[in-house]
Amino acid sequence: MKGATLLRALLLAAIIIPRAHAADTGAAGRSLVGQPQSVLDLHWGDVLFHFYQGDHMQALTRLGAAGQLQRLDHHVLEAELLKGGLYLSLGQHVRARQIFQQLLDGNVPLDVRNRAWFYLAKVWYQRNYLSAAVRALQAIQGALPGELEPQRHLLEAQLLLYEERYEDAVKVLSRWQPVGGRADIWSHYARFNIGVALVRQGRVEEAAELLDEVGRIPAPDTEWAALRDKANLALGFAWLQVNRPHDARIVLRRVRLQGPAANRALLGAGWADASDRRFKRALVPWLELRGRDLLDAPVQEAYLAVPYVHAQLGAQGQAAQQYLLAVEAFAEESRRIDESIQAVLDGRLAPALLQHDRSGKAGWYWQLLDLPDEPATRYLHQLFASHRFQEALKNYRDLQLMQRNLTVWSQSLGAFDDMVDARRRAHQQRLPVMQRILAGVDLDALDARKNVLISRLEQIEREADAVALAPAGEQALWARIQRIEQALDAADASDPQVQEMREKARLLRGRLVWDFNAAYKARLWQVRRQTRDVEVANKDARRRRLLVERAREDYPARTEQFAQRVELLRPRIDDLSVRVGAATEAQQRFMAALALRELQAQQQRLREYSMQARYALAAIYDRTATEGGRGEPP
Amino acid sequence: MLQVLKILRPGWRHCLLAGCLLLGAVHAQTPVDAFQGLDAQVQALKGEVLDLNRELFVLEEELLFPANTQVAVFLSMDVGEFFALDSVTLKVDDKEVAHYLYTDNEVQALLRGGVHRLYVGNLKSGEHELIALFTGRGSNQRDYRRGTTLKVEKGVGAKYLELKISDREQRAQPDFLVKEWE
Repeated sequence: MKGATLLRALLLAAIIIPRAHAADTGAAGRSLVGQPQSVLDLHWGDVLFHFYQGDHMQALTRLGAAGQLQRLDHHVLEAELLKGGLYLSLGQHVRARQIFQQLLDGNVPLDVRNRAWFYLAKVWYQRNYLSAAVRALQAIQGALPGELEPQRHLLEAQLLLYEERYEDAVKVLSRWQPVGGRADIWSHYARFNIGVALVRQGRVEEAAELLDEVGRIPAPDTEWAALRDKANLALGFAWLQVNRPHDARIVLRRVRLQGPAANRALLGAGWADASDRRFKRALVPWLELRGRDLLDAPVQEAYLAVPYVHAQLGAQGQAAQQYLLAVEAFAEESRRIDESIQAVLDGRLAPALLQHDRSGKAGWYWQLLDLPDEPATRYLHQLFASHRFQEALKNYRDLQLMQRNLTVWSQSLGAFDDMVDARRRAHQQRLPVMQRILAGVDLDALDARKNVLISRLEQIEREADAVALAPAGEQALWARIQRIEQALDAADASDPQVQEMREKARLLRGRLVWDFNAAYKARLWQVRRQTRDVEVANKDARRRRLLVERAREDYPARTEQFAQRVELLRPRIDDLSVRVGAATEAQQRFMAALALRELQAQQQRLREYSMQARYALAAIYDRTATEGGRGEPP
Repeated sequence: MLQVLKILRPGWRHCLLAGCLLLGAVHAQTPVDAFQGLDAQVQALKGEVLDLNRELFVLEEELLFPANTQVAVFLSMDVGEFFALDSVTLKVDDKEVAHYLYTDNEVQALLRGGVHRLYVGNLKSGEHELIALFTGRGSNQRDYRRGTTLKVEKGVGAKYLELKISDREQRAQPDFLVKEWE
């Protein structure tokens, strides 16, 4: 068996499951294609068949069943490791940890152990079990293979950033020598994160060097482009914070106009110009921004920024009009948020999010990719991207899949009942036939016949009766000769013809005796063998009869055991179904609470913006009135 | 105007915070305990459902295919250079018991070492004939159809058979074998 290779390959696949991106999983999986695995138990191969297709729930079910039925004798360790990986992939981190901890204390290769801890850390981090994630990372010894090593350091730094330990985060990332030199994506992520940590500490000059470098990287794909935009945005706002609008303007201009960071960058660019009192220039990004979707906070802010600039330029009338426009837009937006709040309160959020989900496979690696534009979801894109919402949604989705699974089993129980009935009926029908057959077989009589045969054989052996073992043809010949000899004995002995015939009979007799004696040993051995066969056959018949009788007695009991198992499962399924339903609702309420909190915060922000607009408008009216109509009419 | 600017500043700071959100390093503002309480509940429930799945799977098999009469036929493949599998038809004692069309995803799973449980059923003790017909494409992309036959002796206890497709490199053609497992 290619044990070590298989284990490595398997774990590469098994523990790779929780990777967030489907493309990553595919990439990891590709290396296994064309390298057939040695399967020493067919049911192990059956588990792998479902596992390799990404059907982890089915794989886990079959793995558990095969284990319970003791069909995985040659793959005990791999089976346990795979089980841990499957639990992890299904978001069952508690069970996964129990399995890994039991296994990892043993003689599992170090790289397997390290990988298991890494993925546990990743799951715990995303589920906000931060101290558990830290402990898991600390359990890793030495370096992880390939791209996992940079991911590990980034994760460690991220955990420190959560705890606001910026200095430690910088140390962790600085200590790490990124794999692949300075030009790979992980190195850029590391530099970016160090830069962010330094900004948080107020060390903007040091941060600028790193963020500027990341802000100039090439962008061969969307991931690189997004990282570059983020770096430029972070650095731009850092410069604005320390009142260096000129530097801010330069880096903010690098942000793509259509990326996810574009709106913030346009807002910041306007502020950079406004801070330099270059108000006309500030209007360019802000007017562009104001023309965009009002869902986004920077766009809402642009509605205030544009009239602010007009006011700065002395165009009070225009400023007043723009403030009025802002008030109206905010009111309209607030009304739409009301609609969203109502949709969330009506329980439409989770169904809307999952309406296009067709995969039907449970799993922690699932991600919400297709966001529908509906009232319940319209203002929540940022919330949806957060770990806390994603994890809650995964739980909700898994619970729904579990509920469907329970419904299917619940319906199957009817079929199980039918099967139990069919067993009962089949037994009733077969019983009389079976009894008739059993009654027609007299094993004792057969035994008695066999014993007679054995006695006869012993007698033949004792008397060395070679004739008795001769085949029927030879025995008939022997009888004929004896009859001839008797006839010749009664004939005239002086007759030369009689004498000649006697001589011939004697020769024939001698020949037959010779043949009998020559074949005696072989024939005796053969008969002895046949007798042994009869003995074995008789014993086998007795054993089979015993099995049949036992089956006849056990079968109804076994059928009733099945009936009992089915009966016990029914309330369990019903009870689980009720509890899964309650948990689904609780999960839905939790997500709704997150959404409402977010929507109310947005509404509050709109109220504040609206108030600012009204206040500014009042100030303009007040000033115009005070100046006695010298300015433009509002 | 300075006052307006001051009023606007909090919004600007908000945007800065939003920028920080991008960096993924701001504390979660929702009660972590609420999520973790629910998560623990969901974990426990999912665990129970997974256990139940296993029990029902075992019960289903024991009920429908008792060990004494059970026969299961599995299909495996190795590198598959000379044969691309499309479907398999299985006959037992001249009666078709399974016909399976394989998707690309399933073929990939087979090539990676997975083994498909093609058929599970019940057979009486004694001799039985098993015929498997494989269809697919050969190395020259032409349709390829091959069959293989095996006489099996079914005794007491489950019988497992493996249909094995492997490449015979010397002759640059696929091999179709049937293997009996004890």
